[in-house]
This record gives sequence, C-alpha cells and structure tokens, in this order.
Amino acid sequence: MANDDPLEARVIARVQDGDAEAYDTLVSKYLPRVVAIAWGVVRNAHDAEDLAQEAFVRAYQNIGRFRTSDPFGPWIGRIVTNLALDVMKHRRKFRHEELAGTEPAARRDDADVMAASNDIGARIDAAIEELPEMQRLVARLHLVEEMEHVEIAAITGLSDGTVRSHLSHARAKLREKLADLYD
Amino acid sequence: MTDDEKFFERLRGDGASLRYRVDDATLARIRARIQDRVTSKVTLAELLASWFRPLAAGLAAVAIAAAIGLSIDRNDSTFGEQEVEIVMGGDTYLVGD
Repeated sequence: MANDDPLEARVIARVQDGDAEAYDTLVSKYLPRVVAIAWGVVRNAHDAEDLAQEAFVRAYQNIGRFRTSDPFGPWIGRIVTNLALDVMKHRRKFRHEELAGTEPAARRDDADVMAASNDIGARIDAAIEELPEMQRLVARLHLVEEMEHVEIAAITGLSDGTVRSHLSHARAKLREKLADLYD
Repeated sequence: MTDDEKFFERLRGDGASLRYRVDDATLARIRARIQDRVTSKVTLAELLASWFRPLAAGLAAVAIAAAIGLSIDRNDSTFGEQEVEIVMGGDTYLVGD
C-alpha cells in the first residue's frame, strides 16, 4: 500500500527529522480509529486507551525505520493490534487468577455496554464475540470498522488469502447464528 | 447480488453501529499523554544513568563471580593443607604423617 497523502508523508518526514510536535498531527488523525481497533480486541475502554497510547509511543520510537512512501494508518493499526492480542494472550494465561469467578461480561464498563445497546447490535456483537480469535478480529475490522481486505491484511499481518478465508468462515458462522435477523 | 452478499451487506450496515467511539475529552487526554511522552527531554543524568546502569551491573556480576571463584580456590587449598586426625584403638594417627 502506498501513501497517497503527500501532507502525511511530509509530516512523517518532519517527525523523522526530530520534530516531535509534528507527531500530534498523526496522533489526532488516527487516534479514534486506533482506540476503536484496540477496544474491538480487548473490550475494555481503559485498556483500549492505554494500548492506543502505547502504540503511538512505540510508533514514534521506531519512526526512523518507517518509509514515508507507506501509509501510516495500517502501520499504527498493526502495532495496536499486536499489543492488544498480546494483552489477550496474557489474560488467557492468567485467567484463573484474574477473573476469580467473574464472568467476562461483568468486567465491561458503561461505554462497552453502550456500544451494543440496541437489540440487533447486541445480537451481532454477541455473535462476533463467539467466533475464534482471528475470525473475530477480521470480522470486527470488516463489519464494524468497515475495512476492506487489503487494509485488514496490512493491519493483521495476514495474507489477503488468509483474511478472505477467515472472513468466509466468519460469514458462514454469523449467517447461521443470525439467520432469523434479516428473514 | 446473492442472498449471502445481501445478508452480509445488511450485517455490515448494522455492525457499523457497534463501532466504539471515544469522546473528545478522552481523545484530548490521550493525545496530551502521548505528546508528553514523545516530547519529554532526557536529562544528562538520565542519559548517563542509562549508559552506566548496565555497565555497573556487568562489573558487579564479574566481581561476584571473581569473589566466588577465589573463595572456592581458597577452600580447596585449605583442605589440602589440613591434617586429618584418625583415632583407632586409643591411638591417634595423622594422615600425612
């Protein structure tokens, strides 16, 4: 994917030259989406905000290696996705100690509940959550974040074919679970 | 458009409402925290500490290893020099005599 935004390429070049203030332009452009991607994986507002912050700091620390001809969005998306998946891996590892009998749904905060406040939304949300991890991630990026295959592949580091395969499996399962919704 | 495609399109339309949206105040707070972290200047003391901390740790490890080595060495030589006393039938023998 090439960066077709010359302004963004110039901003990245300035940041690479040591202009830390210019980085805020990139942060303000991508922050809402980065938080949303993180939330889609970790399902907790505070964790999503912390992960977004960490992702931007790590991107800044490695900006010297970034090619200005590449778009910044998929790169920061990939960083935050990897961080969020690491958090989930850590959570699974220590699930017994962490949850101590508390159901995952009970750990969601108000903002999380609001996201799925309507009936159809809640049904779709629940059906997506039941998918295996990578199908869930790909389905959420496609259905909720409205990303296309190429962008999902760039963010997840998966090949286009693998993204299509995950999406196809997710689609079949969602159709089965939500068959009554649109009949 | 097939039934499957229609289903997925409608699902996508409703799924978009599930997108997590952050309020402006939260966005401003996160932006400020990021900016704070990327613009924070490293003081000379912090810079020197970051260089010398691993060096000091390395030197300490070498010193500990050397001390343990000397101690083992000394024990070995002490053992070799000591006489062993064996008492048998009321007579005392010194090994090495």
